[in-house]
Amino acid sequence: MSVLDNTIIKLNGITKRYGYGDTTSYALKDFDLEVKRGEFIMIMGPSGCGKTTLLNIIGLLDRSTEGEYLLNGEDVSDISARRQARLRAKKIGFVFQDFNLIQNLTVIENVALPLVYVNRPRTVRLKAASNALKRFHLNEREYYRPDQLSGGQKQRVAIARAIVSDPEIILADEPTGNLDSRSSSIVMEELRAIHEEGNTIIMVTHNPSLTVYATRVINMLDGQIDTDVKTVADHNLPQPIEVKAKKRRARKISRTISSEINPEEEK
Amino acid sequence: MSLLVRTHIRLARASIKQNRTRSFLTCLGIAIGIASIILILSLTGSISNLIKGETKNIGADLIVIRPSHNKDSITSIVEELTAANSFERSSLTLADISTVSEVEGVTATAPIAISTNTLSNEENTVPSATILGTTPEFNTIEPLALRYGVFLNEKNSDTAAVIGHNLALNLYKTSNPVGRTLTFQGQRFIIIGVLDEIEESVNFDNVNFNNVLFININTMDKLMGSTQIQQINARALNTSLLEPISENIVKALKDNRYGDTNFSVSYGDSISHPASNLLNIISTLLALVAGISLVVGGIGVMNIMLVSVSERTHEIGIRKAVGASGQNILMQFMFEALILSAIGGVLGVFLGYFVAFLVSLVTPFSPFISWQIVAITIVTTIAVGVIFGTYPALKASCKKPIDSLRHYV
Repeated sequence: MSVLDNTIIKLNGITKRYGYGDTTSYALKDFDLEVKRGEFIMIMGPSGCGKTTLLNIIGLLDRSTEGEYLLNGEDVSDISARRQARLRAKKIGFVFQDFNLIQNLTVIENVALPLVYVNRPRTVRLKAASNALKRFHLNEREYYRPDQLSGGQKQRVAIARAIVSDPEIILADEPTGNLDSRSSSIVMEELRAIHEEGNTIIMVTHNPSLTVYATRVINMLDGQIDTDVKTVADHNLPQPIEVKAKKRRARKISRTISSEINPEEEK
Repeated sequence: MSLLVRTHIRLARASIKQNRTRSFLTCLGIAIGIASIILILSLTGSISNLIKGETKNIGADLIVIRPSHNKDSITSIVEELTAANSFERSSLTLADISTVSEVEGVTATAPIAISTNTLSNEENTVPSATILGTTPEFNTIEPLALRYGVFLNEKNSDTAAVIGHNLALNLYKTSNPVGRTLTFQGQRFIIIGVLDEIEESVNFDNVNFNNVLFININTMDKLMGSTQIQQINARALNTSLLEPISENIVKALKDNRYGDTNFSVSYGDSISHPASNLLNIISTLLALVAGISLVVGGIGVMNIMLVSVSERTHEIGIRKAVGASGQNILMQFMFEALILSAIGGVLGVFLGYFVAFLVSLVTPFSPFISWQIVAITIVTTIAVGVIFGTYPALKASCKKPIDSLRHYV
């Protein structure tokens, strides 16, 4: 029961289909996944295996063609676009490969952006954004424009924006894809720090060396889970208390999930 | 909600500032449209005030009887105005004049029968002069300043005539033709008076007194065979008695024609109504024409908003990803369109009044400002913003977040 309490995302038979008839192709095929609070999941796999589609569906930016998506136990697979937007504003933070900062806005305004859509007064927004930036040692760049920053700085601004509204899930789509190795490791250290505070992070990456930061690595192939492994980091990283206590059972369940998926993969 | 509104306004301001030239040109389109509407309304407003002012000058105790059919229709307004050229038979007769003068409380009665005809003397011919048949009492109702001679009176012969300033110059090449003669319909008339030059060309009789020849209405009737009486002016004993007196006039005239009401009796401000009504129609039409330029301006707003939406597709995607709903995006672009047209509107008001002021320097029309004009401007500006901003804003709000995120400029 308490394990269920800790489940933040549950996907049941999620399918994303493009095209009709002969041209039908599947980005996700009967995909099942359960994510617990406090996990740091890395999703890997070749291009076109559906990683980004999965992230977009979890982030409520896209809809699945079939299947059930429970976010905090609530079915969100068929909710209105307006409600999707509300949930995105409150519960989900995005970090993108190409940063996706608005060029016309200053750094601090970019960070404060999600708070606009949860109706926070301007002073509250700016204060929260300023605190978030301070955390990433960017407080001196508050009034810079995004194009005056280096790639690593931009990505840290984007991470600050993702956490400013205190979301339950942070979704990162190849956040280090456009960065050199030094900036990469700085960004990853920041993500690790956020994770250590008990945040749930789902990150798509191509870089196998980054899996050391993760508590769980999922390899995807052709829209389905290929392997789903808990890593060593799982034991080393501090996690929220409930998660720690129920770790064994949680792992057991995730193993049964992957064993449920595997036979289907063989068909 | 108010928080979001403030944010939208701030965003719109930032976006407009960023594309200064583009925004200015778009606003200019709206401004020209609004300015032409303001100009037309302000000028026609001042003309209408001039007309009303004329009626006031004539006197508040005047009652005017005009032939009429259906008072409210536009054609009847036009007919009343152009009655001088109307070939339709007037419903007022010579008998009505004496009927009106016999009504209790009426101190003076003067008919106005206008005809256009050729006047000639030994040297010159004026092919289409205005001849106004009336009675000597005309001068008591509407005192006219005479430069030379006297106005028609009871002692004059039937063939006496009083001439307007310009007509005198045209016919005799002198401003003082008193004692000279002219021929009209084969009858010789003798000039007994010349009017002073009159500045105002607009008056409630719809005649330019500078170009008119006054003769006795009975003589006119004999010469023409019949008389078209365009109106009968009557002066009331007392301003407070205007209403009962005009009611009595209506009753007396009705008795005259066995109950028919093919005439209208008006007093006070309503005397100038036919003219003001026509002016209103014309100004509305002109404003509608000016509205076309406003539509063009509105299309400019729509065009620029569409450009803005497509330029900022990526931004829309980011905003949606961080939690903006379609409605938020819709409002953002709506506000931008509204503010663009509002700035255009304000510019237009200043531009319009500036031009109206320039016009007033060379014409007798003074710029006329009223709350109606301001209200019309505000309403049209908002309407333009809403009408032409909706489509681009809807387009922006309907964009799918992942597609927009993939879109780079």
